[in-house]
Amino acid sequence: MSTAGAAAPRAPAPPLRTRPRDTSASWPLLDRIGLAFCWAAGIALCVIAATILIYMAIKGVQYLRPELLFSRPEVAVDQSGTGGFLDPLAGTLLIVTVAMAIALPLGLVVAVWLTEYGRPLGLARAVEAGVEIIAGTPSIVLAIFGLIVFQESFFGFLSFEAAGGSVFGRSFLTAGATMSLIALPLVVGATREALQAVPNHLREASFALGKTRISTIRRVLLPAVRPGIATGTVLGAGRVIGDTAIIVVLLGATARLEAGDGPTGIDTLRGTGSTLTSYVYNNSPVGEGNAPEKAYAAACVLLLIAILLNSLVTRIAKGRRGGAAWIT
Amino acid sequence: MSHRTLTAAVVAVTALLVLPATAITKDTITMSGSTSVYPLAVGLAKSYVKAFPDRASFKILQGGTDIGINDVSKGRVTIGLASRDPEDADPGGLVFNKVARDGVCVITNNKNKIRTLSATQIQNIFTGKIRSWSKVPGAKVKGAISLFTRTASSGTADAFQNIFLGTNKRIASNTPAKASNGLMRQTVSSNKNAIGFVSLDFLQGVNAVGYAGVSCTLRNSKSGQYKGVRNFWMVTRGKADGAAATYLDWVQKSEAARKVVSSRWIALK
Amino acid sequence: MADSTTGASASAQPGRASRRWSDARAEPVLAGISALVLAIIGAMVIFVLVSAWPSFAHNGLGWFGSGGGPVDEQLRAIQRSPAEPSNYVYELHAWPLLFGTLLTTGLALIFGLIFSLLSAVFIVEFAPPPLRRLLEPIVRLLAAVPSVIYGLIGILALGPLLDGLISEQRKEEVIFVVPLSGLNLTLATLILTIMITPIMIAIIVNALRSVPRSWTEGAAALGVNRWRTIWKISVRAARPAIIAAAVLATARALGEAIMLSMVSGSFGFAPNPLDGFSFFFEPVRPLAATIIDNAEALSVKPLGQTIYAFAAVLLVSSAMLSFAGWAAKQPMKKYAGRV
Repeated sequence: MSTAGAAAPRAPAPPLRTRPRDTSASWPLLDRIGLAFCWAAGIALCVIAATILIYMAIKGVQYLRPELLFSRPEVAVDQSGTGGFLDPLAGTLLIVTVAMAIALPLGLVVAVWLTEYGRPLGLARAVEAGVEIIAGTPSIVLAIFGLIVFQESFFGFLSFEAAGGSVFGRSFLTAGATMSLIALPLVVGATREALQAVPNHLREASFALGKTRISTIRRVLLPAVRPGIATGTVLGAGRVIGDTAIIVVLLGATARLEAGDGPTGIDTLRGTGSTLTSYVYNNSPVGEGNAPEKAYAAACVLLLIAILLNSLVTRIAKGRRGGAAWIT
Repeated sequence: MSHRTLTAAVVAVTALLVLPATAITKDTITMSGSTSVYPLAVGLAKSYVKAFPDRASFKILQGGTDIGINDVSKGRVTIGLASRDPEDADPGGLVFNKVARDGVCVITNNKNKIRTLSATQIQNIFTGKIRSWSKVPGAKVKGAISLFTRTASSGTADAFQNIFLGTNKRIASNTPAKASNGLMRQTVSSNKNAIGFVSLDFLQGVNAVGYAGVSCTLRNSKSGQYKGVRNFWMVTRGKADGAAATYLDWVQKSEAARKVVSSRWIALK
Repeated sequence: MADSTTGASASAQPGRASRRWSDARAEPVLAGISALVLAIIGAMVIFVLVSAWPSFAHNGLGWFGSGGGPVDEQLRAIQRSPAEPSNYVYELHAWPLLFGTLLTTGLALIFGLIFSLLSAVFIVEFAPPPLRRLLEPIVRLLAAVPSVIYGLIGILALGPLLDGLISEQRKEEVIFVVPLSGLNLTLATLILTIMITPIMIAIIVNALRSVPRSWTEGAAALGVNRWRTIWKISVRAARPAIIAAAVLATARALGEAIMLSMVSGSFGFAPNPLDGFSFFFEPVRPLAATIIDNAEALSVKPLGQTIYAFAAVLLVSSAMLSFAGWAAKQPMKKYAGRV
């Protein structure tokens, strides 16, 4: 009781256990083997990604020269002479613009209607299933479907009519229209998710102030889900940039941008050309360009663009979590 | 944007798209067909547009002779490009206009520089009777012969068949088929055991094998010494009219066109 | 109060009332545009099936079988058929192409599922935090690489590597039947697996993370080790998502045309497992790759219709896949978590 009795030494308090007790050393053999496989899978992922990046970087440094980016390709079957890929680069940008110009409004309308209205219920379910079917359809099937449709004489204004009266059916407009189908499900999905995440009290407050539903959508909801729409757009653009099958079938495969008829601007859209993806395909051993070095260089540029778009998506998504805090 | 300006914008864009289709613009001549004729067609089109910038614009596709013939017979293109002579099985109503002559060369990889092969040897190799390079005197590589041919729509394959194999021998079945001259050249130049055939214009990077002692060059083809020569045709549905007729006339008769043809092919006298 | 506000707004913007859309007008317009999406799909299905019908009609069920000689020869015969419609040649036994598609897609799916599950479990549970922060961008990066680049690396770098593994002698032995090379079933399956894995990993990781923590913590409290917790509880709860991921990945694998046309050997052949070691080096040509290799012939009647038949098979398969995925998820809806 008295402190003098405290002369008897007390054992120090045992250290607090902060690390989890469960280490893999205590597991049965089967579980440890499984853990080893998991580690192997994770390491394999890193190795694969590193290999792809490093290989493309090496080949890019080897073959990519600035004049390739700024000079136009030769108008010839054999691309191994001089000439770069300025036109395919412009073609890629053009296709993405056309495709997103169609996919974005269409996707917004569909997403908004599905989330905010959605009546009659049968139609809503059908449209949902429809968007899923488009998402699952192979792009090569979409491409040949686009070819059938756009070779009808009704669509002559989208490409051009030949002297024999037949519609060519291949142009930036037709390829872009078919590409928009690829980007559509992504825009719809991202916008729907974002709209569903907007809490109901925002809508109710707007209705209480006397705004109609459509007005609420225009003035309140869409501005609030701008990051979601941006994510969907960039995801869609990423997919459009990477798709080759539709380009091979629907863009006419001319080395340079060959314009059709019409005033400036419209004539390029109605004309044919190529994109970076079809340029890489053409110059690889399965195509006739006979210039694998240029294929590597173009592939390197393509990969850089894809990585850039990808990091853009990440930045937008992160920003969404950080900002717009007033919404929660 | 207000309701009215939006409608006005949509109408303006539609008008911009539709009106040019009805305005008087230059004719577009579309061509499709033989991959052998394609470089010639591109060269001729370039020269024509340089000489007469306002007359016509061109869109040229490939695909193979049979596809070109089919397209032109259905009216899908204005002119079909063919690298073989007309056959009975071709659709009716077509007019074949000869524009040039061209040579077909057997090619091997640059590591296997065979100078010449006899007719019998070529027949035995391509029909599959000889399967190994060790049985071919003069071969510089060992191993199995990697044979390549062209796809079914190719006029070059038909020409090769007629000139080198005759009517009763066929190329071995199961031979991998390439869709164009460019692809054939690609494949042979990257595979040291490969052998195939291409048009005269596609000899860069591969070894051209002589036929019965005569080497396959433009000069020998022009002089008639090299026997593997075939015709190039521009095919129209019925007699050509309008812009196509003017163009064909220019191709067959003008001096500028003759210069383009003689540069890498054989001009008609 | 309400009167004055509406009165104020009406008088403040006199012309606006006529430009304000009422819901009665907006809803049908939006619904109509959304129905356009349905019209597009309907048109696509109808066009493709109608164009493909003659090929199926002439061959009946034999279309899906084998026989009739090498399939490339049959395609060649179709292409050379005479010009009159009554004499068109349609005979086709497309089994080698179907088998090639089934093999590449099926094998890629199996390997991909295993690889993705293990990786997803690793990312969610066992990876040390720095490695986890590295792996997530890596997965997104792999998903963003365009398919031509995979094809390019396959054909220029990996193909020659594989080519060195077969002996010249073996190639010579079988040259009568099939050309063996580095562009073959193995390379196609390998690259296809790498292509579909990132999609599956992303979906499965999402699902594993949304398993309620009370479940995993309860298991830990009962003394279950981390490995068993994650497998027996989280992965089981994430089964709907795994199925959704598998369906998505299979759809992607079925439709992959460009990469497969570059690396799979371009020879319509049904690899024979009984060939032993050579089985892995035999070329294939899945349906999508066949379509793109013959894309210029779309306008030539009998061959064009045969190509539409291939597209019809792909279309019906992907539709059935989506339906099968939806059906498989129904019994699992009782588990919590995102479906």
